[in-house]
Amino acid sequence: MNTSLKTGHSLLTNMRQAKALTVINFKSFPQRFVASMVSILSIACVAAVILSVLAMTEGMMKTLQRTGLDNTVLVMRAGATSELQSVMFPVEVNILANNQKIIKNNEGVAQVSAEMFVNAEVAYISNVGGIKQATTTVSLALRGTSNATQKFRPNFRLVEGDMFATGVRQLIIGQAVARKMPALRVGKVITLGGAQWKISGIFSDGNSVFESELWADIGMVQSDYRRGNTIQSIRLALKDINDLPTLEKEWQEDPRLNIRVQTEKKFFADQASSLTRLIRWLGFPIAIVMALGAMVAALNTMYAAIASRSKEIATHKAIGFSPLAISTSILCEALLIAFVGGLLGILPLYFAFDGWTAATQNASNLSQMMFNFDITFLLIIKTMSLALFIGLLGGLLPAIKAMRLPVTEALRD
Amino acid sequence: MKNNHNITLNNINKSYQKGNNTVVVHDNFNLTIESGEFVALMGPSGLGKSTLLHLMGGLDQPTQGEVIIGTQRIDNLKQAQLTQWRAENIGFVFQSHHLLPVLSAQGNVELPLALTPLNKKQRQEHASYALELVGMSERANHYPKELSGGQEQRVAIARAIVSDPHILLCDEPTGNLDRKTADEILALLTQLNRDFGKTIVMVTHDKKAADYASRVINLETYIFEPKNIEVGERL
Repeated sequence: MNTSLKTGHSLLTNMRQAKALTVINFKSFPQRFVASMVSILSIACVAAVILSVLAMTEGMMKTLQRTGLDNTVLVMRAGATSELQSVMFPVEVNILANNQKIIKNNEGVAQVSAEMFVNAEVAYISNVGGIKQATTTVSLALRGTSNATQKFRPNFRLVEGDMFATGVRQLIIGQAVARKMPALRVGKVITLGGAQWKISGIFSDGNSVFESELWADIGMVQSDYRRGNTIQSIRLALKDINDLPTLEKEWQEDPRLNIRVQTEKKFFADQASSLTRLIRWLGFPIAIVMALGAMVAALNTMYAAIASRSKEIATHKAIGFSPLAISTSILCEALLIAFVGGLLGILPLYFAFDGWTAATQNASNLSQMMFNFDITFLLIIKTMSLALFIGLLGGLLPAIKAMRLPVTEALRD
Repeated sequence: MKNNHNITLNNINKSYQKGNNTVVVHDNFNLTIESGEFVALMGPSGLGKSTLLHLMGGLDQPTQGEVIIGTQRIDNLKQAQLTQWRAENIGFVFQSHHLLPVLSAQGNVELPLALTPLNKKQRQEHASYALELVGMSERANHYPKELSGGQEQRVAIARAIVSDPHILLCDEPTGNLDRKTADEILALLTQLNRDFGKTIVMVTHDKKAADYASRVINLETYIFEPKNIEVGERL
């Protein structure tokens, strides 16, 4: 045997040693799988909660970000933070529409959409599988629209049925509403504010927040909800969006107007941030507490693993494995536990809920907003990174302990 | 050519704290073991036989004094240097073999070679040779639970010699074995000492086991019983 058996303690050598020990740890991992289950399940729970929060905020953000056009100006009453709080009059619509900076068609008609927005109590009898269920009541956003409205929603499509007829109690519902409440289908009669309305169609709008709404003729909504000829918001198409600051100044100085002006994009972006902030404030503290618990579980598991293997670790040291390699292999095992836990948290959630339509109460307009659970690859990576970070922290102290394990005592025990 | 791998313990003091008391294990202890010797350390429990073995193997440090192996003083080396030195110079055989249950005999013997730059094929060759030397070639693919106590100890010896260390430190290697198996293991150690020049230091309670050694050091009476030393070639 003339081959050199000289060792070394370079980083590369340490890593090679760590690899050999890690392979052994992984081979014996099935024996410790049950003992490791507490930390695996804890990490799985944390991963599931974190991923849910992230997927919810991501889904909500996407829904709200898809809503609103850059060159569309949304005008509401000064002080109103939502369409629901706003009230405006036809005279104001005329003043705004007459401005030269607004796009006009060949006939000189300004591209303006005056809209009503009502938080409607919708009652319907759910009828699933031919069996009549109890009456369901839910708060939904009812928008009174006119022909011009669709010009501000370029992604608007009727996916089923027909457009509502004017002057009668007909409405179309967004496909997110139809998905969430399967009983609401074309031809179904529902109760809104005590009156019977017929669903004439289902529309899509590029997965925007409008898909969580019911749309009807503005005149019928004003009449049924006794709003006279008032409206709540005005959408205007600007020739050049850069004119907005000038226009805003001009309107602010006009004594006939008392309005709030902003781009529609910004309005929904603000709603998105306030909604997602709420979820984060509720979700992340829970997740952090759970993460601490999972870390302690991982810590405990790894300490127990080291205690049960103290002789094995001491033997490795006696053979000549470096303390660094031994502690690295312990860390790798902690990471394996975290990885298994992360997968157990992520995969069921992904297969069960990705794309699932959830609903939340939108605090700004008091009605339900539907959005899809959006579990993207990036969110999975983020969640798995967090799981691995928990494993790393949980494995760190035990790894240091293994590094310092006195060989003579361990061998003597 | 005979290399100098003498084991020298100079003025060794070893004590440790037990509660508020200081327990003195060795006080001004001196010992030299020459390369190629087969030495048995005997004596009742608590006299520090295993402690001496651990000091020689760099697993423990003396409170005072020097541990010199060949020309290398090891008691003042850092941990990283000590583990590297140990990997190159020392093979340990324990009373409980401490084989890894998840690895086959071959895998267990290959383990110390993970510390060397050998490639997989070379590691397999070295391990096969070591198993052949201890008469365990037939059982190379068996796992520890499939082996008898004597066979496990043979594999542990193969693991100790696979990286061709100069010194074998054996802590009660036959303590868990019956007489016949113990004699086989001791014969194997004698062969490694005689044919391959391994310096062997063996802690034992067993007078019959000590008879295999070329020198017996009884720590109770501190009597040295020199015998003739024959040195063979290394692996």
